[in-house]
Amino acid sequence: MIPSALANRWWVWATVAAIGSWAWVLPFVPFGVAFGSGCAIAITVVLLVGHGIKLHGLRRMPVPYAAPAAEESDAPAEDEIDALLAKPDEIEQVPPVDQILASMEADNHRRRLEDLLRRWVDVAQRYSEAALMLRKEIYAVVQHTEQAANTISSSFQAVINKATLQAREAMELLEGTQGGATDGAPQSLTDFIRVSDERLTKMADEVVRVADLSVQMVKELDGVQSRTQAIDGFLLDVEKLADQTSLLALNADIEAARVGEHGRGFSVVAQEVRRLSQRSHEFSDRIRQHLKEVKVGLHKTYGDMRNLSAADMEHALKIKDDVVALTRSLEDKNREVAETVGRINTTSREIAQDVHNVVVSLQFHDITSQKLKGMLELMDELRRTLFHLMQETMVNGKNLLPPKDGAAANGEESADSHTASGDAALRKLRTVGAPKNGPSVELF
Amino acid sequence: MATIMTVDDTASMRQMISFTLSSVGYEVIQAADGAEALKLAQDRKVDLVIADVNMPNMDGIALVKSLRALDTYKFTPILMLTTESQAGKRDQGKSAGATGWIVKPFNPEQLVNVVRKVLG
Repeated sequence: MIPSALANRWWVWATVAAIGSWAWVLPFVPFGVAFGSGCAIAITVVLLVGHGIKLHGLRRMPVPYAAPAAEESDAPAEDEIDALLAKPDEIEQVPPVDQILASMEADNHRRRLEDLLRRWVDVAQRYSEAALMLRKEIYAVVQHTEQAANTISSSFQAVINKATLQAREAMELLEGTQGGATDGAPQSLTDFIRVSDERLTKMADEVVRVADLSVQMVKELDGVQSRTQAIDGFLLDVEKLADQTSLLALNADIEAARVGEHGRGFSVVAQEVRRLSQRSHEFSDRIRQHLKEVKVGLHKTYGDMRNLSAADMEHALKIKDDVVALTRSLEDKNREVAETVGRINTTSREIAQDVHNVVVSLQFHDITSQKLKGMLELMDELRRTLFHLMQETMVNGKNLLPPKDGAAANGEESADSHTASGDAALRKLRTVGAPKNGPSVELF
Repeated sequence: MATIMTVDDTASMRQMISFTLSSVGYEVIQAADGAEALKLAQDRKVDLVIADVNMPNMDGIALVKSLRALDTYKFTPILMLTTESQAGKRDQGKSAGATGWIVKPFNPEQLVNVVRKVLG
């Protein structure tokens, strides 16, 4: 085969034809000189015509871009062929090889553009699918955050309700311990302490008063005892009188006996006087006996009274001290309760404030949801546009899809690597997040 | 105590408004969009409406217009609680007859104060 670089040169063909034609004619030179010359001319003409037709065919192909090399090929091919036919000696002045090269370059360029377009369509298709996937993912994110926000909101609602209840109960407790009394009956701990203190103090005072009275009674008994001793003295005097009367009666009786018969009546009187004296003694003894018993009783009462007054006073004072101590202790406890309730109240207020902050923060969900929904609209618009462009492109260039394997290998590699990384990212998106049934445990 | 209706397509928002206002003693009823709110408002008397702007079926602005068309809601305060902060939307709300415009996120204390103020 003749190399393609030489095959397109007209003078090569002309030379080969001329040499060939003259070679076989050599033995018949004398006879065929004229005929051979004519044939050579005819072959040359045929070759030139064939070359002209080829140039014409190339020129009719569309050239999609303004290649600088093709600028010179504006003139129609037929004119060139005519020119060549008319002036075969001027063929050297028209360079059809440059035109062929230019048209080949144009052909390559068109194919590159087609390939690029095919890749664009491919990318559009992939990203349209990716947009759909992203839409689903964003929608899922919105749903999940809404669910989570609802749960958090309910939980905090429960927290604040409980905190409010706690604070109210604490306040009721505080009012119960610090409130006032009605109708004399204690209604609160403070009131109870006050009433108990009053009553116990009154009782202690009564006991002290009773003890004072006992002391006075002991003193009174002392007086009674001294008076009984005086009575004792009086009784001794009475007995002395009786003894003297008895002695006087005895003397009278002796004197009557001495007088004899005349003194008998006087003797009877003397005996009567003696008997009266004896009875006086008997009375005196009986009084002394009773007085003795009274003295014993008084002595015992005196002792009891002394003990009683001393014990009462001591006991009453101790009770009073105990009551005071108990009251102080109750008051301290009450103050502690009030302080604790105050702290509970403060904590409840702080919890309420914290929950208010949570309420403010939780609204991020609504704001982000609306933003994400806005993104969804944009994404849908993008997807629709991509889809329509793809459809239109496919209708207008049916040969573009599916993409040919191996075409523009380098470019496709880079496009594939882009979409591959996109797919990987989507796969990762789908696996992120806990399953719907809550966190699961898997042991191997 | 007054009855307040909260209208929002986000359940958590309704919940938060509801518990903020019910904790200070108001009775709160909820509606998920303008259409539901309009139906509820006709079934019972509501003293105050707090509505979102962007909602499906019937948006907040349309709800305000529909409520103002009813005799019973001519002078009822209607507050818009929304993420929309553009003056254009706000003016639309104002001309539709809304009483006030609160931009999310709301502060519970601030919301209670505004509610007390508009309820008088």
